[in-house]
Amino acid sequence: MFAELGMQLQPRVAATLPSWPEVLGYYRSSTKPTVPDVLRDADRSGRPAVQPRCGVGAHDAMMALLRSLEKHGEPDILTLTIDSYTRLKRFSTAASTLRRAPRELNGYPLVAHGWRRGRELNNAVRAPLEVRHGSPDGRELFAVTVASGITSYEGGGITYNIPYCKDVPLDVSLEAWRQIDAACGVLASAGVVVDREVFGTLTAVLMPPSICLAVCLLEAYAAAVEGVRCVSIAYPQGGEIHQDVAALRLIRELAERYLPPGVEVYPVLHQFMGVFPRVAEVADALILFGGLTARLGGATKIINKTNQEAFGIPDPMANAQGIRTTVLACTEFLDFVALDEERVAEETYWLRREVVELIEPVLDGGYLLKEIADAFRSGRLDVPFSASVHARSEVIPRRDEHGAIRFLHAGNLPFSRATLRRNEQRLRARREPRNRLIESITRDIDYFKAYDARRRVPLFARR
Amino acid sequence: MTDRQVIIGVAKSDAHAVANHLIAMRLRLDGYTVINLGVCTPLEEFAEALAQYPDAEAIVIGSLNGHAYEDLSELPQLRASGRIHCPVILGGNLSVGSHKEADERTRLLALGVDHILDDADQIPLLLDLLQASRTGTTTTAA
Repeated sequence: MFAELGMQLQPRVAATLPSWPEVLGYYRSSTKPTVPDVLRDADRSGRPAVQPRCGVGAHDAMMALLRSLEKHGEPDILTLTIDSYTRLKRFSTAASTLRRAPRELNGYPLVAHGWRRGRELNNAVRAPLEVRHGSPDGRELFAVTVASGITSYEGGGITYNIPYCKDVPLDVSLEAWRQIDAACGVLASAGVVVDREVFGTLTAVLMPPSICLAVCLLEAYAAAVEGVRCVSIAYPQGGEIHQDVAALRLIRELAERYLPPGVEVYPVLHQFMGVFPRVAEVADALILFGGLTARLGGATKIINKTNQEAFGIPDPMANAQGIRTTVLACTEFLDFVALDEERVAEETYWLRREVVELIEPVLDGGYLLKEIADAFRSGRLDVPFSASVHARSEVIPRRDEHGAIRFLHAGNLPFSRATLRRNEQRLRARREPRNRLIESITRDIDYFKAYDARRRVPLFARR
Repeated sequence: MTDRQVIIGVAKSDAHAVANHLIAMRLRLDGYTVINLGVCTPLEEFAEALAQYPDAEAIVIGSLNGHAYEDLSELPQLRASGRIHCPVILGGNLSVGSHKEADERTRLLALGVDHILDDADQIPLLLDLLQASRTGTTTTAA
């Protein structure tokens, strides 16, 4: 099937794949809703779809996990979270670890298990599946995902490179993902729409919203021109609701403005991805808050957290509870909550301006993928706290006194004077001595971590 | 004023990026040119960076996973060959695991680490003191 999809694949993986007519036949005969179907329904209803993360190494355990989450959490979409070896294309290490000690894997090694088992998982649950991973080059994993009949695949040449590996050049990851997007185009022409979600959360540490949106819009644009017909744009909850709602609503507006016509675009909220509170009821409240943020922002889908987040990978019951708490936030239960729309409008105005200032110079250049790599090299695009050496990470984010994420230092980002001045003004009230800068930013990162309702410790506690 | 340079990075077996970037942010705001080698950096790469930036005032290495001693085991050879000729500053969580913190510090200093800091916000002060002791004057980076 890889010849029809036009991707360059490792021959050992390619040899395991079924034929193209067989793959199309499986998709066409499936009676399950696809991920795009679920997203369309959620969008129409105004109630976001909810999806957990989940992945374990062994096949039986993965099957049991999916069934347990479906039974106890009733999510709209389910996930195969993939292990780190597979993400880095170390397929034989994943396979040998699977044989020797499957519990050592931090996700499901789909390439090692193969597409037949992928279909078994897909057939075992009502909810459609998405593959979530973190591969700078996800081509082989994509081929096995498609052979498994799965209808959603996360990632992108920027968002699955910068946070996940140290030294893969952006040209390399962008080209690998271009081939994946082109393969989605081939599938779409054959009537199979695969949702492509881009990972706007990036490093998940104090991510300025304009950076998330700019990077996602560039990835979504690159995907759309290759033929992708359904794009989910994910944004990480920062914690200040006016800013977060502005960001979610802007995804639709800016996608309409910049993306070619004929592409479905769905905003996705990732519940808070930073340092999570250890106290269960605070964690639960933050999960509820995330659900509410998503609904007010018009998100189509939410990726939920759990009240065990601070301690590692959650057990299935905690994950199911996280799903249900999130669903609760999106019912009529909290329908009376309304925001100060003037404040949202002000955030929207400035955020739109920042995103436009970031993406227009890149879109106005030559070959898009080269422009993106060049922009990261020169710092005109940047991501704070990058794992990759291919982003400069010269940007310094801070929270303002309400918790919104601003630029203390914008590095080499091509911002106008007005944008820079606005950020400076918003941070004026939080001016702290520079000789404690690391401590101050650490407090911003730990914003939700130490919240204690009984002692009424405010989010910005003075030490 | 001449450009003040410093080389920073995270030890070979350690992938913790956040503290590394916080240090880079602080030093840049203090006016330094920061050569940041990032996470999972073998000592050999610090030596290569120093060859490229011989005027760097110090090498600042972070280690949060308790493997600092193993990760820096080549320091005596690199010192002896003259390839690491500037102060080496180490910080992070050094006492994870079986060794007691005081013992671990002694071991690391014996290996050739010059300074061990608990508080990353103290790095600029230490760099100023080191520079003053070299030149006999105190300069503050712009």
